[in-house]
Amino acid sequence: MSTATVDTTKSWSGGKSPFNVEYGKLMMWYFLMSDAFTFGAFLISYGTIRFSTNGWPDPNVVFKSFPFAPEGVNAPLVFVSVMTFILIVSSVTMVLAVKAGQEMDKKSVVKYMIWTIIGGIAFLSCQAWEWNHLHHEGAWWGRNPFINADGTASSTNFTNYFFTITGFHGFHVFTGVVINIIMLIMTLLDKFEQRGHYLMIEKAGLYWHFVDLVWVFVFTCFYLV
Amino acid sequence: MSHEAVLHGDAHGHDDHGHHEHHDTFLTKYVFSQDHKMIAKQFLITGMVWAVLGGLMSVLFRLQLGYPDSTFPFLEDLLGKWAKGGRITPEAYYALVTTHGTVLVFFVLTAGLSGTFANFLIPLQIGARDMASPFMNMLSYWFFFAASIVMLSSMFVETGPFSGGWVAYPPLSALGDASPGSKTGMDLWLISMSLFVVSSLLGGLNYIATILNMRTKGMSMTRLPLTIWALFFTAVLGVLSFPVLLSGFILLIFDRNFGTSFYLSDIFVNGVGALPNEGGSAILYQHLFWFLGHPEVYIILLPALGMVSEIISINSRKPIFGYMAMVGSLFAIAILAFLVWAHHMFVTGLNPFLGSVFVLLTLLIAVPSVIKVFNWLTTLWKGNIRFTPAMLFAIGFVSLFISGGLTGIWLGNSALDIHLHDTYFVVAHFHIVMGVASMFGMYAGIYHWFPKMYGKQLNNTLGYIHFWVTIAGAYMIFWPMHYEGLAGMPRRYYDFSIWESFKQFGELNKFISLVSMIVFMVQLSFLFNFFYSIFKGRKLIDPNPWKSNTLEWTAPIHPGHGNWVGEIPEVHRWAYDYGKDGVDFIPQTTPVGADESQH
Amino acid sequence: MSHTAHHEENHGTGEIKKVTIILSVLTIVELILGFWMIGITSEALRLAIKGTIIILMLAKAFYIVAYFMHLKHELKNLIMTVVVPLSLFVWFIGAFLIDGNSFKNLRNTYDPYFKERSTIKVEKKAEGHGGSHAAGAAHGTADTTAHTKDTAAVENNH
Repeated sequence: MSTATVDTTKSWSGGKSPFNVEYGKLMMWYFLMSDAFTFGAFLISYGTIRFSTNGWPDPNVVFKSFPFAPEGVNAPLVFVSVMTFILIVSSVTMVLAVKAGQEMDKKSVVKYMIWTIIGGIAFLSCQAWEWNHLHHEGAWWGRNPFINADGTASSTNFTNYFFTITGFHGFHVFTGVVINIIMLIMTLLDKFEQRGHYLMIEKAGLYWHFVDLVWVFVFTCFYLV
Repeated sequence: MSHEAVLHGDAHGHDDHGHHEHHDTFLTKYVFSQDHKMIAKQFLITGMVWAVLGGLMSVLFRLQLGYPDSTFPFLEDLLGKWAKGGRITPEAYYALVTTHGTVLVFFVLTAGLSGTFANFLIPLQIGARDMASPFMNMLSYWFFFAASIVMLSSMFVETGPFSGGWVAYPPLSALGDASPGSKTGMDLWLISMSLFVVSSLLGGLNYIATILNMRTKGMSMTRLPLTIWALFFTAVLGVLSFPVLLSGFILLIFDRNFGTSFYLSDIFVNGVGALPNEGGSAILYQHLFWFLGHPEVYIILLPALGMVSEIISINSRKPIFGYMAMVGSLFAIAILAFLVWAHHMFVTGLNPFLGSVFVLLTLLIAVPSVIKVFNWLTTLWKGNIRFTPAMLFAIGFVSLFISGGLTGIWLGNSALDIHLHDTYFVVAHFHIVMGVASMFGMYAGIYHWFPKMYGKQLNNTLGYIHFWVTIAGAYMIFWPMHYEGLAGMPRRYYDFSIWESFKQFGELNKFISLVSMIVFMVQLSFLFNFFYSIFKGRKLIDPNPWKSNTLEWTAPIHPGHGNWVGEIPEVHRWAYDYGKDGVDFIPQTTPVGADESQH
Repeated sequence: MSHTAHHEENHGTGEIKKVTIILSVLTIVELILGFWMIGITSEALRLAIKGTIIILMLAKAFYIVAYFMHLKHELKNLIMTVVVPLSLFVWFIGAFLIDGNSFKNLRNTYDPYFKERSTIKVEKKAEGHGGSHAAGAAHGTADTTAHTKDTAAVENNH
């Protein structure tokens, strides 16, 4: 125990990061882990209530509209697939921005950051349209105009959870867009060139992918199953 | 993520520029300080203020429980309309009990204990200039401060602070009309607790990143003092469980303000469904709350476990017995903490099969706990024990941990729990094992590290009086409660004198109340000792007063921001080489000699 | 310096393209399953499809975390510290859902009001919101049919 013989696990012996990662990125990872528990708790609550309720509305009946489509169109899953792809694409552009940052390629970083921000704003706009549409149909916190799949009356918890969880996710997307805009401005001001690294973009990227990751779960839980 | 984030780039960053001396103004040195030692003191003193307030509350409601028929005119002067005619009103009684619980659990024993000692000890004991992000560390304190202010202000609103118990179960917490305290008081309670969650997340992330990334050369994980291991697991518990509480609170806020019914099912008033709530489940809140709530118990307990291990080893002048077993059992406790939450909910209508799984997992906690207890005892065994006040409190902790832990085995059984649930038996159990025991850990820590914090010594005589009265008092207060609980006396009742079956405990309740007042007074003497010694205490001459091995004692008596002058010392051995090869102690910084014996 | 160390191996655009395609394909398969499920009434088959969708969801999550977030290219220890705590979700999800289900069974067995209400068919879809029925009337009476929950909830909101 006390002797300092040859250390096989050099990386853990102190004086440096055992993961070869600077602490900011480490903290971002652990923050995301803890945020996963926030979202996890929301989605698990949703599941618990669903499991303790007799009926539940059919998502294909609820989410069947599309912007600019004629009233009464029956297009289940279409709009939400558009939203999903927007987020996946913006995630890809974020990866490319991070990669450009590692190669110290400022021009590409700017380009891909702009695309990522556009993707984020597009997603938020879609969500705003969907919320607005549902609100017009009479859905809101504490109100549920939809009926269960088996034709019985539905409890308000369907809409309660939908708005709370997609709202919380939307809030994360919004925060991510704000962070990305700050990163873009800092890139344009040559902040990262002066520092000699684009680590901040990497950390912003982690956050942005996490937002995408959460959507994978929200999408599945609310629209598919 | 701010500039500091990358400024201090990596683990070595601090070596280069962590130690520049710049002139501090009063504001940057004492108020918005980014020095971990000052932040620790801020946490400690805020925690002490809360401890006094929380303790005072317990004295007030003990007055009601001990003397339910008497009136005390001074109470009306003190509490105004909450003690009309000199007797605490039922509303005030519930508000006092609730606030006592919230404040002691979250503000004193979470922020005050792990906030203080994590901030103070982590950089000093692992050999770092400061926390990974000093700025976030400062934010952590100020979020806690904001939470404190909001909680304090909730006591002065017209309808009073929240009064539905510290667990804030719906519907009392979800329906504004349920009780006076469910109105503004509950809103402020939720705001305060949300701020507190943010504070503990900022702190926890920082502690984890610091311990992993910023250890000095040679300080491998297996050479860390047990305090640091304990604080590490505490931080992990906090980071993984507080978010769940936050989610639970967000849903509760929606229930209160936006017409949702996550936690509210059909509520009938006079047989007519009068409230438009449906489909929700109040049990869901309890699940979410206890998913934090049980790890929270260990967030409170683990720092004490760690500090006690260290203090016992130092003052027995012996290596800690079974270092790896101690770390392993801390790890096991941390994992089990997440798997047992529903043992708080055996009588809610929990699925009995699920309940039996929870019983099994709960009883498993006894294994690592017992490993720890026996390791402490074997560390003490044949030791050259120095009975300093810190050591006494550490031994007192072991005693309380045993006697409080044993009743946990009773309560962990779902069948026995049907009888014992919500009785004074539970009150006795968790006060001894978690409340008083952690308080003892905290006192041990303060007595032990006070010289490092302020460069002065605490008065020992007052320390001895403090210890003996407190340990005797703790047992006199909580031991009889076991019998009351076994007899079925329920907790959270305002007045027992109207029940024939509980009347027999009238004298006993009086006795408990009297002792609690005496114990409270003695705690005030500790406060006097603390603040008097900061200014007038014996000056520390030896920078290593306890002849201890750990790194913090190699720093100057009054370390500046950056802790060590010049290079950070390198570490060559574990922290527990006491009495090795006939040498009293060998600091961690001493290189291993050629003829030194191997373990 | 630590932050350059883990970039030496070049996981370049090729990998990004590959993962993008995988994610798109997984999403499309999910959507196809989703469409397929619309017409199916067999409860067992629906459950099987739902299970498949959840497995696909986890696969998507894996690709995002492993490649987009570069976790796969970090040191093994870091991967462990992130992934191992997430295993707590197993019991977290399991216990919550089991107790949720058990709560439903309890209420169906012992709460006739709960049982009765969940068998009442709604004749037609409620006309949005803003019904003017009395709030109390919608509850607790057996003849609750067309005017449903939302009416009462709306009343409450105003």
